[in-house]
Amino acid sequence: MVIQESMSIQKKLEVLSDAAKYDVACTSSGIDRKGNGSGMGNSIAAGICHTFSADGRCVSLLKVLYTNECIFDCKYCINRSSNDIARASFTPQEIAELTMEFYRRNYIEGLFLSSGIIISPNHTMELILEALRLLREVYHFNGYIHCKAIPGADPVLIEMLGWYTDRMSVNLELPTAESLKELAPNKNRKNILKPIRQIQLGRKGNREFLGLPDFKEQPKLIIEGTPDHDIKEIITSDTGIVPFKNKTLGKRRFVPAGQSTQMIVGATKETDYQIMSVAESLYDNFDLKRVFYSAFMNVNQDIRLPSTEQGPPLLREHRLYQADWLLRFYGFQAMELLDEERPNFNILLDPKCDWALRHLELFPVEVNRADYYTLLRVPGLGTNSAQRIIMARKSAVLDFNDLKRLGVVLKRAIYFITCNGKTMYPIKMEEDFITRQLVALKDQIPHGIDKDITYRQLSLFDDVNFQIDSRIKTRQASI
Amino acid sequence: MMKYVYLCDNSIDGIFTAIYQAWASRYGHANIKIEAKCENSKYSNIELFAEYIMVNTDPSLSEKVSNSIKKKISREAFEMVCRVALSDFEGKADLIYRFLILGFASGNSIMENISQVVVNQMLRINKNVSNEVHHLLGFIRFSEQENGLLISVIHPKNNVLTLVTPHFADRLPNEKFMIYDDNRKVAAFHIPGNSWVIAQVPELNQKILEEIPEYEDEYRALWKTFFDHIAIKERINPKLQRNNLPLRFRGDITEFRNSNTV
Repeated sequence: MVIQESMSIQKKLEVLSDAAKYDVACTSSGIDRKGNGSGMGNSIAAGICHTFSADGRCVSLLKVLYTNECIFDCKYCINRSSNDIARASFTPQEIAELTMEFYRRNYIEGLFLSSGIIISPNHTMELILEALRLLREVYHFNGYIHCKAIPGADPVLIEMLGWYTDRMSVNLELPTAESLKELAPNKNRKNILKPIRQIQLGRKGNREFLGLPDFKEQPKLIIEGTPDHDIKEIITSDTGIVPFKNKTLGKRRFVPAGQSTQMIVGATKETDYQIMSVAESLYDNFDLKRVFYSAFMNVNQDIRLPSTEQGPPLLREHRLYQADWLLRFYGFQAMELLDEERPNFNILLDPKCDWALRHLELFPVEVNRADYYTLLRVPGLGTNSAQRIIMARKSAVLDFNDLKRLGVVLKRAIYFITCNGKTMYPIKMEEDFITRQLVALKDQIPHGIDKDITYRQLSLFDDVNFQIDSRIKTRQASI
Repeated sequence: MMKYVYLCDNSIDGIFTAIYQAWASRYGHANIKIEAKCENSKYSNIELFAEYIMVNTDPSLSEKVSNSIKKKISREAFEMVCRVALSDFEGKADLIYRFLILGFASGNSIMENISQVVVNQMLRINKNVSNEVHHLLGFIRFSEQENGLLISVIHPKNNVLTLVTPHFADRLPNEKFMIYDDNRKVAAFHIPGNSWVIAQVPELNQKILEEIPEYEDEYRALWKTFFDHIAIKERINPKLQRNNLPLRFRGDITEFRNSNTV
């Protein structure tokens, strides 16, 4: 398609927000920053959602691409170079003005800027850098900025960008090096991991320089991850990573809200176990704030990729997010939830229920005595409920009515807890019984993403492993 | 025993004054009930065998109550009490009274006694108000006028204007803005260089809501374009959208409105 030089800003926004929508991260969280009294903007650590689009996702930032022109040809991407689509590019001035005017009207919490790769990674990064410099230094924008680092760009550019942004992310795209090579031939896993490592070291150096505490929120029960080959290589040899220098930049902070990444789920044959292990080693080794999972959509109708005519694998994505929370806030490890023999999550049960049913020997748990991490392992109890229970039991012995009053949701938990040694109803501690009860709960599979489960008529020959006996086969052949 | 009902203004000062007077009366906590005059007059259930006492709001008495809450319980408890006083919960004045009876007796540990019925209800209302405030930080939309004034009209359930405005004063220090609570006919004003103020505006000039400069329309159109194009078709999920963004807010949100007024 011919690139129109005089495209209206309306049309550009249309093209470039359309192209950016497949990026998952749109959070504005991780950093508390007061207004500075002169510029415009502040930031709140919890993040603020400004609206919710028709797909129900939070819109917090003005999420656009700088350009959707791209020299790369990744098979899954709508903007790949071999696609014949409308292409457009903003100018740094346009980005800065749009952000400021939207921000004044409280449409957005800040800017999320990503980009296709135009001419070269370095050239693209320079354009992005110019847009952010305008925003921060000319318009004195003090709100949230999330920016993508382009893999393969010069480390100096990545560092310069880091001083302007609150959060940076480099997309891992696919869990393993093989599938990356297959679907994104121009990308290289080590090139992706290098900037992640650089940003991690930069953040660490900056925090030490400013004397900020270096906190890891959740102590893991056992830290014995097995990072894959590439990750191990990147974290042990810091080759090609520019050592971070503590420049006298006053109190400026380097990527204060941390970094995130994103993986596509369902485009390649990786199992949930592989995906979770990669996510876990990213959290453990690179100090990532978030790993996002994006259900694959065959936007290019590419014959080499799985079809998504039935809709994207949203339920699988949902289960991965549930497990991700278990890793980050509940002290679980990937190898507890899944293993080589059972490499995928149960469709019908959430990962925690599934885990608990395989470990009934640990239950029931006494609510009035169990410690925080034990409570967290009870299906149906989250961090809020567990904290409330711990607080409330200081001044009273809790019974089931108290739990209800505290807002603890009991429909899953009743099978796994006792109050003063009693369960709520007489309950058989038997796997089949509890499984039946849990599967019957309606919210096990959230509304709107249940379309990839299909029902079929039961039949006498419903055994999945049903195979014709070889002896019968030969006999049939002889007849 | 005779029952005494203290009828006070529906404001933090009003409720605190009533609490001070009720406490000082020595009628006994069990014989006292405090009622705030409700903002929407659907409530008028006068009790027969009770003596009604009208409370005139007195800032000096109210300050005494605030100081003792901060001193005897905690700053955190004071903030919670204020948020409950700003809520639209009908029995809030009496609930605060019951909470303070417990709180003054046991000090800050009352905040941890969350299975206690009164404390629990306070926490719930507190959370409800905080949630609405947090929602509005995102859902408020400003429209610019010809003279550069940013205007926003909201219809909140609770009286949240005093809780919402500091955020915007901090965020937009160089902007003139006004946030108008259409349910209570109250507005918050901010002018650069001054601290923000709250004022009663019984009748807002409708004209200023309708006269919108052309460039304002353009930015709205741009925003709507962005909003429409950021959704992924294959994942459309109205139920999830409604869960996250309840319908009651949508009347005031630019991208969900068709008309061109503020």
